Amino acid sequence: MALIEARALTKVYRLGRVDVAALRGVDIDVARGEYVAIMGPSGSGKSTLMHILGCLDTPSGGAYRLDGEEIGGLRGRALARVRNRKVGFVFQTFNLMPRMTVEENVALPLQYRGGLRRRARLKRARALLERFGLGERIGHRPDELSGGERQRVAVARALIGEPAILLVDEPTGNLDSEAGAQVLRAFREVHAAGNTIVLVTHDPDVGAEAARTIRLADGRVAA
Amino acid sequence: MSFLEALLVGLAEARRHFAQTLLSLLGLILGTGSIVAVLALFGGQSKITQDYVAEVGGFGTVIARDRELSQRPTATELASDRLTYGDARYLKQRATTLGAVAPGFFEEMDYRVGGVSFQGPVIGTTPDYAVINDIRPLVGRYLSDLDVERQARVMVLGWKYADSLFGAAETALGGLVTLAGRNFTVVGVLEREEFYFAPWSGNELEYRNRRAYIPITTAFSQYTGDDEHLSFLTLKAAHPTGARAAQQQVTAMLLLRHGVQDFDITPSGAGANDDAQFFKLFDFIFLVVGVVSLIAGGVVIANILLASVVERVREFGTRMALGATGFQIFAQVIAQVVVIAVIGGLLGLALGWGLTGTVAYFMKMPAAVTPTIALVAIGTSLSVGFAAGIYPAFRAARLSPVEALRYA
Ligand SMILES: Nc1ncnc2c1ncn2[C@@H]1O[C@H](COP(=O)(O)OP(=O)(O)OP(=O)(O)O)[C@@H](O)[C@H]1O
Ligand SMILES: [Mg+2]
Repeated sequence: MALIEARALTKVYRLGRVDVAALRGVDIDVARGEYVAIMGPSGSGKSTLMHILGCLDTPSGGAYRLDGEEIGGLRGRALARVRNRKVGFVFQTFNLMPRMTVEENVALPLQYRGGLRRRARLKRARALLERFGLGERIGHRPDELSGGERQRVAVARALIGEPAILLVDEPTGNLDSEAGAQVLRAFREVHAAGNTIVLVTHDPDVGAEAARTIRLADGRVAA
Repeated sequence: MSFLEALLVGLAEARRHFAQTLLSLLGLILGTGSIVAVLALFGGQSKITQDYVAEVGGFGTVIARDRELSQRPTATELASDRLTYGDARYLKQRATTLGAVAPGFFEEMDYRVGGVSFQGPVIGTTPDYAVINDIRPLVGRYLSDLDVERQARVMVLGWKYADSLFGAAETALGGLVTLAGRNFTVVGVLEREEFYFAPWSGNELEYRNRRAYIPITTAFSQYTGDDEHLSFLTLKAAHPTGARAAQQQVTAMLLLRHGVQDFDITPSGAGANDDAQFFKLFDFIFLVVGVVSLIAGGVVIANILLASVVERVREFGTRMALGATGFQIFAQVIAQVVVIAVIGGLLGLALGWGLTGTVAYFMKMPAAVTPTIALVAIGTSLSVGFAAGIYPAFRAARLSPVEALRYA
């Protein structure tokens, strides 16, 4: 059974009186342990698709199963639970909490999950940060870090809850080539450890990292 | 996440957004502080007003006076003796609604002791006058029933006149004063009377220190040739709330005696209230200032909270993407508000308390922060905080993560 099974996904944005179809029927399957890159021109619907796959947004039509769970009917609290347990989302702009330390940022998903005390949460965050070579940075604030370090903190935060899938929007878009290469190495390790990764990119070199590439054009999967 | 944990997050958030927190706190502190001070001072001011009314005869006092003769007086009107000492004695004996009856003769006369002399008011009356007007002798005694019965040539001096004529209250006692050519023995000197609405206004009761009291019977026999017409007739109801009943009974009884309505019966509190009315204006201004400052405080808080939420909507979007539920976002904002409102309310209470003490000290006003006022203040602070916090919290909680993340 595939980890991700999306059938005929559509998304229509209503802009005043005009309907903008961002997705026009997308079918996607991603198996457990895959490393998939989604590519396509600007405006083709990549971010929209990622938001739906990450349960940050709901599709206008179609069916979506994630890790065996039907997502279509879920709303509010249930959807928040899925986001918290099954999805690790890495934003293009990292979206770290500026007033929290690195370890507090990474521990945040565990706080929303509940069950662990603060001390235990921070301990797990520190252990993960060590693995990403950020052991020295745990007490810093995000604005004291380089772009590459911030990206890795964001990845650590996405992985802390041991999600079923890691979703990444434009991982290298905001990084120079050196930092970009470092981040890609991190993804390779994460993938090697058994995680499933779906990322969006414009960069052919990044696309080449993935085992499989899906091309989007005008809201559809291009052959 | 429990509510306690949400509260801790709220506290941490309040600390992280220090500048915003400080501004909201300031608004709350000033708002609550002024409410506390205003309520406390308002309470003090109303007490002053009540005290004054009580001091000058108070509630339940009724005044009878002659009515102006009509343009073309009837024969009955002309035949009437008007209000007389006889009326007063009749009311004293028969009027069941009355507790005290003080008839009065009033005239300006020459006072003389040795080389000192001046003109001043003299009041001829009965012992009941002291009951109605709450006056107490400093030395000696007030007029007695025996004085009235015997038409004694005795007098009780106001504090100021005792001072002017004899240099001191003690030396006045037993002294002789010539009133319009007749000698009187001083049997008492009254306590100095004073009352201030505010420290900058004068002694409202100074006129009472500048007069002398003699038995009303002596006044008539010595100065009017036994014409017993009264200058005033002050009545006190048997019960503080019985003024209206007394007014009705006295009107009926006097109408029967005179055969014509040549008198008016009015409650005396009215005049005192007029004086006090001016100072009620202060009460009102105080209250308006307090309400306005609280509203201003509330608007400031609402604004700051709203701004802080708008600024952080993207942050809420991220939190939701990481698994925060709408309720957790709501709880976070509310917890932050509760923390700020409680701290602001307490500090505001302290400020108001200090303010009240200072103002009360310098303006010599009775004012106190009662537990009720403290409760009202904290309650107001909390409700303003909630009112200002709930809307932004509700708005933030309703967004989808993507909407929140795209929020400009
Ligand atoms: N909130 C929105 N409201 C209206 N239209 C939107 C909204 N979000 C996206 N769109 C439209 O949907 C289409 C797909 O947008 P999307 O952001 O998914 O593209 P993308 O492939 O991620 O592009 P890019 O490579 O520039 O990030 C575009 O035409 C875009 O204008
Ligand atoms: Mg995009």
